Amino acid sequence: MRKPLLTTLAAACALAVPALAQSREVTLTTQLKNYGGNGAYLAVYLTDAKGAYAGTLWVAGGKAKYYKHLSDWNRLSAGDAKRLQGVTGASVGAGRTLKVTADLADALIDAGYEIHVDAAVEDMRDSPSEVRLPLTAAGAGKAQAGKQYIQSTSYQLK
Amino acid sequence: MLWRQIHRWLGLVAGTVALVLGLTGAVLSLDPVLSRWQARPTPNSLSVAQLAGQIAASVPGAEEVRRLPSGEIVVYGFDNGQARASRIDPASGQVLGEYQPSATMRWFKNLHRSFLLGDGGRIAAALVALAMGLLAATGGVLLARRLGGWRQLLGRVRGTRVQRLHVVTGRAVLAVLLLTSVTALAMSAATFGWVTLDADAEPDLAPSTAITADLPAAQLPLLRELPVRELQKLNFPAADDPADTWQVTTTQGQGWIDRHSGQTLAWHDASTAQRINDWAVLLHTGEGAWAWAPVLGLAGLSIPLFWATGLMLWWQARSQRPRLARNSAPAQADTLVFVASENGSTWGFAQALHAALVQAGHAVHTSGLEHFQVPPNARQVLLLAATYGDGQAPAHAARALERIAQAPVTSARVAVLGFGDRQFKAFCAYAEALDAALRQRGWASLLPLERIHQQSAQEFTRWGERLAEQLGQPLTIDYRPRLPRTTELELVSRQDYPGGAGEPAAILRFKWPKASWLDRLRGRALPRFAAGDLLGVLAPGSAVPRLYSLASGWRDGFVEICVRRRAGGVCSGYLHGLQPGARIAAFIRPNPAFTLEATRRPVMLIGAGTGVAPLAGFIRGNTGYTPMHLYYGARDPALDYYFEDDLQRWLAEQRLASLNTSFSRTPQGGGYVQEALQRDAPRLRELVSKGAIVRVCGSQTMAHGVAQALDAILATMGLSVQQLKAHGRYAEDTF
Repeated sequence: MRKPLLTTLAAACALAVPALAQSREVTLTTQLKNYGGNGAYLAVYLTDAKGAYAGTLWVAGGKAKYYKHLSDWNRLSAGDAKRLQGVTGASVGAGRTLKVTADLADALIDAGYEIHVDAAVEDMRDSPSEVRLPLTAAGAGKAQAGKQYIQSTSYQLK
Repeated sequence: MLWRQIHRWLGLVAGTVALVLGLTGAVLSLDPVLSRWQARPTPNSLSVAQLAGQIAASVPGAEEVRRLPSGEIVVYGFDNGQARASRIDPASGQVLGEYQPSATMRWFKNLHRSFLLGDGGRIAAALVALAMGLLAATGGVLLARRLGGWRQLLGRVRGTRVQRLHVVTGRAVLAVLLLTSVTALAMSAATFGWVTLDADAEPDLAPSTAITADLPAAQLPLLRELPVRELQKLNFPAADDPADTWQVTTTQGQGWIDRHSGQTLAWHDASTAQRINDWAVLLHTGEGAWAWAPVLGLAGLSIPLFWATGLMLWWQARSQRPRLARNSAPAQADTLVFVASENGSTWGFAQALHAALVQAGHAVHTSGLEHFQVPPNARQVLLLAATYGDGQAPAHAARALERIAQAPVTSARVAVLGFGDRQFKAFCAYAEALDAALRQRGWASLLPLERIHQQSAQEFTRWGERLAEQLGQPLTIDYRPRLPRTTELELVSRQDYPGGAGEPAAILRFKWPKASWLDRLRGRALPRFAAGDLLGVLAPGSAVPRLYSLASGWRDGFVEICVRRRAGGVCSGYLHGLQPGARIAAFIRPNPAFTLEATRRPVMLIGAGTGVAPLAGFIRGNTGYTPMHLYYGARDPALDYYFEDDLQRWLAEQRLASLNTSFSRTPQGGGYVQEALQRDAPRLRELVSKGAIVRVCGSQTMAHGVAQALDAILATMGLSVQQLKAHGRYAEDTF
């Protein structure tokens, strides 16, 4: 499953730099395990060095009533009225891959930011912050496994 | 409203898809029962704090506890980096085994709610649920109409086997199906976010920052208050995040607890929408209500039954639709025929009338009464109207009276012909209302109102002759009643009597043919019948059936009638000529107003001549020993004492409580039956005061005399035959 997307975090992110010339394109690839359940809801978002919410990159799964199961994201992003704007898609089936592309300000890289992925599946346990990846130039291309549903997550910087 | 049309087309279109929902729903209904089987009981007094304490001890690395609707407790956690889901005994906190939800049930669930087609499928399923709700609602309206009102909803259902299956099952599961539909829509509304379940946003928590040790779960005040029975979910605070909190969700609401101080940081009561949704889920799925789930399962299984029987009913009605040759446009027609018919039988008459008028050179337009409208060209307007139930208009013509009240009056002359059954209080009441409405508007009369009893072809022919006179030209109306499918019956025995008035009589007994269930389902067999129903017999070469009251019910295993041979009577002559082994073509016509329901009230049976036959049938079938009292009038015990031996035996067996005979042609015979009633007046009053039910069968003259005699007897009690009739306690079958 491919979900190409271009987002700028200018609105959500205090550290974003307005000029696009100073941004990097990040492509995050998340491959799910065959966990034997319905399609997974995933929230991909950023936290800053203090662990505070910095912006949402993607939410897979369209039904708002299930968002409370993406509990970290739901809690942290509660104050962001635009957290869903232009960044939602279908839930991701077991064994499938989600690809998210975003333009991030240069200043976010190597600045203590982390990419989080919350996951939840119907009638199965919730898995907030299933994956946490530090956003660094050196970390690009390095895969990390999730606790429950995610086989591996990695990102590429362009 | 055209309830029937809506019901039919929704059923044909959405019903086919609803099959999938019904069958998968029936499969899913097994789950709550099976889960309940596996679930260990939760002690009533157990608090969430106790449970969490036990789990903390027995399951290291526990992160989340869920109480499933079945009562099962599942703990999620990590054991050496390995995700685990374990079932727990709530009483002891011991691990029972791994928790693995069934993949099969998950597949059925997805098929049930989305046809495995994602959101598009979910919307389709919701639409089918809506259609199901409308089908149940329209079905309810049709059911009430069929049974003569909402109060009669529990009354006996008559009709062909397919009709009864459809109607009786509908009566049983209609409410459940309606509930299933409404709850399905409520769940869809929540799924698609049309209603918001969580009214409150996530709270801003201020957890304590002091780096102290965690308080054990067993000491958290909020958790100590909450019973496990209300628990839905409990999240342990993450080990690696000192700012994380306990989070608990119950049927009542959601709370956050500080891990260090044990203080409740926030509590949100469950929103009304959330509570309604919880109820909708419980009622729709039966999860958490294992005894309710099988009811839902049966309702699911009833859908294929509705679909199949509905399809058959539609097909039967379709193949009976009238075919009108050369139906002119309304504006060109000089003669308009309007028809109001609930089950289509009146259309048979309209068809014959239409053909005869066309043949006589008229330009005829025939249509349903709901299209009533008289263009200036029309010279005569004929209304053929059946009465339905308690004097109501047939469904399709419900607004016809309003239409007539508004239609401009022209110079055309009108005639109304009513169809009905004298058994019912409101015999031809609708036709009378139509006639009155037309007269009031000032339409010129072509013929006075006529009433036709039980679709009598003879009466219709007579009316046709009068119509021909008015039109000043001969009319050849060739009415062939659309007869029910007949079944061959074999005569097994006959008992002959000389008869009272020089006309011999015979009790004829036919074998009740055994039929396969498939034939019965297709309406190809003689349906079940009760004593008091009518047997329609078709003499060879005759298009008009004769009806005889049945002296037996299907449980007796034979079909019995008592026939007096009438001078010149085609059918009675034919029947009297039969010898055992001979076969006749016959059908059953239900006579629900006259047949006897099982009752504990005393029953007064009053009959004369061959009219004793259905009464004898009631007594024969009286296996419950209801006190039945027979007043039986004949002429001479040597000539026309039908069923004499049987009656004596039934008296000995106590199927018959008392027998009072009177013979009008023998000295000291007792005169007519109404005289016997007068002699017994005190006893009759006592029976009536005990709530007695009365059935009268005989000639019209006899029934009239009986009613007069009873009126006189009951007058001292302030009662009348009319009142008994109004309460459904008095019915006549006359000839």
